[in-house]
Amino acid sequence: MKQTALRVENISKLYQLGVYDAASLKNDLMSGWGRAWGSKMDSENSNQWWALKNVDFELSKGDVVGIIGKNGSGKSTLLKIISRITQPTTGSVKGNGRVSSLLEVGTGFQPELTGKENIYLNGMILGMKKKEVARIFDAIVDFSGVEKFLDTPVKRYSSGMYVRLAFSVASHLNSETLIIDEALTVGDSAFQEKCMAKMKEISSEAGKTVIIVSHHLEAVRNLCKRALWLKEGVLVADGNADDVVTDYMKQEKFIYLSQEFNTPENAPGNEAVRIKKTEVVPQYGNSKSEIDIDTPLKINLSFWNLKESKLTTGIRVHDIGGACVLDVCSDSKYYDKGIVEGNFSIPAGYLRPGCYYVSFDFVKNANEKIYSFEVCLTFDIRAKKENKVWTENRPGFVRSQVPFMLHRLKESTNVAV
Amino acid sequence: MNKIKEWDWQIQAEQKWFRINLSELLEYKDLLLSLVRREMLSSYSQTVLGMFWILIQPIFVTLFYVLVFGNIVKVSTAGIPPVLFYMSGAIIWSFFSDTLNGAMYSFVKNAHIFNKIYFPRLLVPLSLFITYAIRNGVQLVLFFILVVIFGTSSTATFSLLALIPVLFMLAGLVGFSIGLLVSVYMAKYRDLEQLVLFVLRLFMFITPVVYPAAMVSEKYSVLFWANPLTPIIETFRAILFQHDLIHVASLVFAVLTTIALLITSLVLFKKKEIKIIDNI
Repeated sequence: MKQTALRVENISKLYQLGVYDAASLKNDLMSGWGRAWGSKMDSENSNQWWALKNVDFELSKGDVVGIIGKNGSGKSTLLKIISRITQPTTGSVKGNGRVSSLLEVGTGFQPELTGKENIYLNGMILGMKKKEVARIFDAIVDFSGVEKFLDTPVKRYSSGMYVRLAFSVASHLNSETLIIDEALTVGDSAFQEKCMAKMKEISSEAGKTVIIVSHHLEAVRNLCKRALWLKEGVLVADGNADDVVTDYMKQEKFIYLSQEFNTPENAPGNEAVRIKKTEVVPQYGNSKSEIDIDTPLKINLSFWNLKESKLTTGIRVHDIGGACVLDVCSDSKYYDKGIVEGNFSIPAGYLRPGCYYVSFDFVKNANEKIYSFEVCLTFDIRAKKENKVWTENRPGFVRSQVPFMLHRLKESTNVAV
Repeated sequence: MNKIKEWDWQIQAEQKWFRINLSELLEYKDLLLSLVRREMLSSYSQTVLGMFWILIQPIFVTLFYVLVFGNIVKVSTAGIPPVLFYMSGAIIWSFFSDTLNGAMYSFVKNAHIFNKIYFPRLLVPLSLFITYAIRNGVQLVLFFILVVIFGTSSTATFSLLALIPVLFMLAGLVGFSIGLLVSVYMAKYRDLEQLVLFVLRLFMFITPVVYPAAMVSEKYSVLFWANPLTPIIETFRAILFQHDLIHVASLVFAVLTTIALLITSLVLFKKKEIKIIDNI
């Protein structure tokens, strides 16, 4: 029998909205008074919001589980409850073994302390003993690649060095259960790949239970065997990661037809490029509102180029199963700092019906990948309703408009009947 | 299948009362010590005088009191050399107000960490308490050096002298307990910060820091001695200078008050430590 690592029993979480003022103080005092005198106060009011509703699941030791859902679906609240940061309003969580959570890279770092001191302090805040940190110290330093700056206060670190060190400490934790939120993509792309490899290593370690929350659906698919899907605080799916992610993308895809960011500071990217806008614009003919196989698609991209460099931008189109069906590259050209725009057209009848997602790659000097904006757009191509019913579900990887002509041979009289 | 299963830990809606998990605190002993170290180092990093600030502060406060209250206002020091009189009041008061000030910001100042990582929240005020105990302990040593220099009329026995660190800790614990209580409610209502800082300033004037208790009129003496800091400071001076009798009844009362405050604040802190994060 598999050993249970964590049991989440029917938890719900109620948040009180609004500001704290004289009215809320009065309310608090009255409810305190009410409790003291044993009378039940009716506390239902419009200022309350259920972040989680009756979430119930169990993890076995060694499970690697991804939690997906839109912003505000309760993912972070769930993680906070499991990590003992906040309490559920009803229900309970029970667990075995030490739980460490990495909800934000670099929490608890002290700017005044040196890299070395921070490795120790952070390791201990995350639940390790001094001896344990000492044992894995070299591995942490090795992984982070900041050995030259160990005696420098971290306030003088570049932001890249900072997150690399922070991720290194957290990823070397040897607790039985590890909770990771949105920490998969830190640093430059070389380090991101290292992070992914490390994550894969952690999650394949025997007996280690890992919970990952990410918007990075491909990562969830790659790393996890099982996925939980939260929607408005309710657990709507729990099962095989591939299936749950596919269902999720099918249902939630509408949010991905375009993504726009107003300022480089909060846009995805890194010190070299920041995404400004990506969108899929269907070129509808006459007032249609559904993308079908005859709808040409225009994919627009604009980004802030933060470093003068020779750039190539690639567009990858993947099908829902993750297979890349199309990969197009721009010319390698020198760009000044500033906003760079580009677009790409997918002609009508080019792709088969189905759900697709788009990722962008940014490559420097034609060989150095600097950033990937993964799964940033998704769209669904419907089969066309026409008199040829059988065209709807034609199999095949590619859909080609190459003409296929049949004609009757003139010399038919030669054929013996 | 075994129905009754032992779990290592459990989280539920209501934290049980009296759950001060000592074994868990011990688990985190290393963290506690390094928090103390960090606090000691970071308060004096990038300062020219560094750790000397620990000593400079009480010396300047004492000189200032001597000047203002001793020479300008001419308050009686009950026959105790003015430097020692003011310094004894100043270092006990500063231990009390430092620990109170440190503990009351436990949640407000660490919200960003408490929001992301779990560890026993009590470690934060505890590490500050230890830091201040060390810092003010150093000041106490300086005080004794000055006692030797200025001379004392005390004929106190060794057992009475041993009471001095106890009195000192008592003052710190009063501040620590009040600070914990304030921290729990201040997380939600920041008004409390203003109120406490304001009351704390006034409170110093009803505590015999810059004047001897003997000056207080008979009419207010019960209220005056009910302040736990009053017998602490007065006993401290009495042991060293024998200027007055030790007020045993109010000292016992102060000890009981401190213990009651400490238990109440620890239990409340423990009960609310997780819930509070939703209110910050």
